[in-house]
Amino acid sequence: MYDDLKPADFEATALMAVEACAKAGTTAERAQLLAEAGLLGVLAPDDCGGLGLSMRFGVPIASAAGKGLLAYPLIETMVLARALAGVAPDMATALCEGSVIASIAWAGFGDDGVVGRAPLAHEAAQVLVFLADGRAVLVATDDQVSVDAAPEFDLDVPEATLRLSAPPQGIVLSAALVATLKAEAQFLRTAVVLGSVSACLGLASDYAQDRVQFGKLLSANQALRHRMSRDAVVAETLRSGLARALTAPREGAGMARDALWCWAAQAGPSVAESAIQVLGGMGFTWDVPLHRHLRRMRALAHQGAARERLDEIADAVLGSTDNEWYGDIADAR
Amino acid sequence: MTPTAPADAFTPGAYAARARAWLHDNLTDALRTDRALSEPASLAERVAFEAEMHKAGLAGITWPKAYGGHGLTLREHLEANREIGRAPVPNSVNSIGKELAGPIIMAVGTPAQQAEYLPEILNMQTIWCQGFSEPGAGSDLAALRTKAEATADGWRVNGQKIWTSGASKSQRCLLLARTGSVQDRHRGLVMFAVPMDSPGVSVREIRSIDGARSFCEVFFSDVIVDEANMLGTPDEGWAAATRVLSIERATNRMYRPWRFQSELEHLVAVCRSDKAAYAVLKSHARELAEIRTEIELLKGHVETLVDSLLAGEEIGPRGSFPKFFWSEAHQRFTRLAFDIVSRFAPGVDGPLRDVQARMQEAYLSSRAETIYAGTTEIQLDIIANRILHLKKVA
Repeated sequence: MYDDLKPADFEATALMAVEACAKAGTTAERAQLLAEAGLLGVLAPDDCGGLGLSMRFGVPIASAAGKGLLAYPLIETMVLARALAGVAPDMATALCEGSVIASIAWAGFGDDGVVGRAPLAHEAAQVLVFLADGRAVLVATDDQVSVDAAPEFDLDVPEATLRLSAPPQGIVLSAALVATLKAEAQFLRTAVVLGSVSACLGLASDYAQDRVQFGKLLSANQALRHRMSRDAVVAETLRSGLARALTAPREGAGMARDALWCWAAQAGPSVAESAIQVLGGMGFTWDVPLHRHLRRMRALAHQGAARERLDEIADAVLGSTDNEWYGDIADAR
Repeated sequence: MTPTAPADAFTPGAYAARARAWLHDNLTDALRTDRALSEPASLAERVAFEAEMHKAGLAGITWPKAYGGHGLTLREHLEANREIGRAPVPNSVNSIGKELAGPIIMAVGTPAQQAEYLPEILNMQTIWCQGFSEPGAGSDLAALRTKAEATADGWRVNGQKIWTSGASKSQRCLLLARTGSVQDRHRGLVMFAVPMDSPGVSVREIRSIDGARSFCEVFFSDVIVDEANMLGTPDEGWAAATRVLSIERATNRMYRPWRFQSELEHLVAVCRSDKAAYAVLKSHARELAEIRTEIELLKGHVETLVDSLLAGEEIGPRGSFPKFFWSEAHQRFTRLAFDIVSRFAPGVDGPLRDVQARMQEAYLSSRAETIYAGTTEIQLDIIANRILHLKKVA
């Protein structure tokens, strides 16, 4: 049905929608703008009002959201709409239509009564809460839940903490659906980081080519040129890493995705820090949006549990090898 | 060596499996780069091995059949290189021939030159060296002084080259010289295929920080080079070379990420064989994971560029991204690996001593990686100038 669509087609649409969202007054208005552009349901099947497209189409949308600091739980909506389609199609449809705002509490388990890192949960009607057994429950933010706005580190998609007064009740997602949802979110987070990295590099290079110090442009100084070149390598590495991870590499799709995410979670914020340095005193001000990108990427790193994923990669590295050239060395641990 | 199957017998899907099987049967202990303390293979053995690799379809993969190649695409080249990287295969003694001189000759050589030079590169009859850098012209190649004057007998060449890897083992030099003066910079540069046994060519080996003697100085003293050995016309040869170099920077030794992963797997497997070594390894778990992520991202750089080239896109300055990335990432890895093996108990032997020697050598030799083929600083300049287009004046 959508065979003629290309991922790049969504980039321009997404950038325009994100720009429009920046001028919208409320989260509900942003939901409508994003839904009208067809962005919320891009991954969800068409019988739920989605487009049924692959992650390759989700990435440019998430990247545009990062670039424009979209104030909406976009990643959560996109992956939830797909996950819920076979379980609760009406809810999936409502998410695609933007009539229900939902979030995901990325930290903690509902079994413990407190979960956190739920972007914009204080404005969400539904929040997905993970359980210790691998499943998850979509709970309504009504009487059984109190939502505390966490200290607002991420200014654009602030996180909230949820306190559950009873074991979570609601639509249940199986452990398999949850695993897929988490994997899809890793791709989208990486794409948001790529968008932020591009924006930060753009702000730095524009400023450096305008600001004159010691009688010459900042961009005439090799130290700053090389700093920005290194930041450009980060952007290109994220781009090529996404391209590879999305084409189901022959060797280890999981490793390709997780390694990319772990690296993005470290390298992305470093580009924002670098851009702040290029802008000097201006970079340190509230009005220049570099700190918002930095906050956004740092929050995402924790939502995506980058450090924990890196520990998992460490376990894999320290494990036995499938490289037959080294398979015959005796294991004495 | 076991008999080799003709490359024609390979189908793209089976390419990696065939490459793996061939390497398993033919890579001897003496050739393996992870047996640092064993008697290394002789030059003749390495040359013979590489000639067999070519026959088996693991080299010359993208070269046209008319020149002795296998007439396949970069896709098969990538497939084979994954396997070459995965195994402890020594670097080619003729990489300049295969990855630099060959493509340049294909681009600007005459049909006669192509027929004469190209098949002998793949069958390893002719080993090439690269005569570009000079004592006063490293990163700033356009400052080179080696002079080529047209005479009645041919071109008379005078000058000195340096950092010429493998010159003492080579039969031919891909020489860059100038027809005019140093002030001409890029204008008037001319490229030759100079026989290394020409009267007036002398070679002196330079010992490098890893103890190896593969670097050389090459002196040209009134060397007469036949017109038939000029590659392209003056200017044309250099223009072609820069185009080829931009592609080669992106595609040469394509096996790197898989080789780095294999080095890591070697280190881990050996450490797992010894409780004390494993304890050391484990204390660096997070740093090792960071190295592993970088290796994975390097695969992304390589595979993305292969996709671009297969789609017919120009690589241009984008070749600087992988060059910058792999060289810095590998140095981080070898520095970590050096620290790990240096913490092994005194007097270790067997596989522990082998991996210790390999990683110590890798740590030292990797210092060259951010210098050759355009230093890190040159790569960053290329990105600033030609990708970010950063202005220097208002």
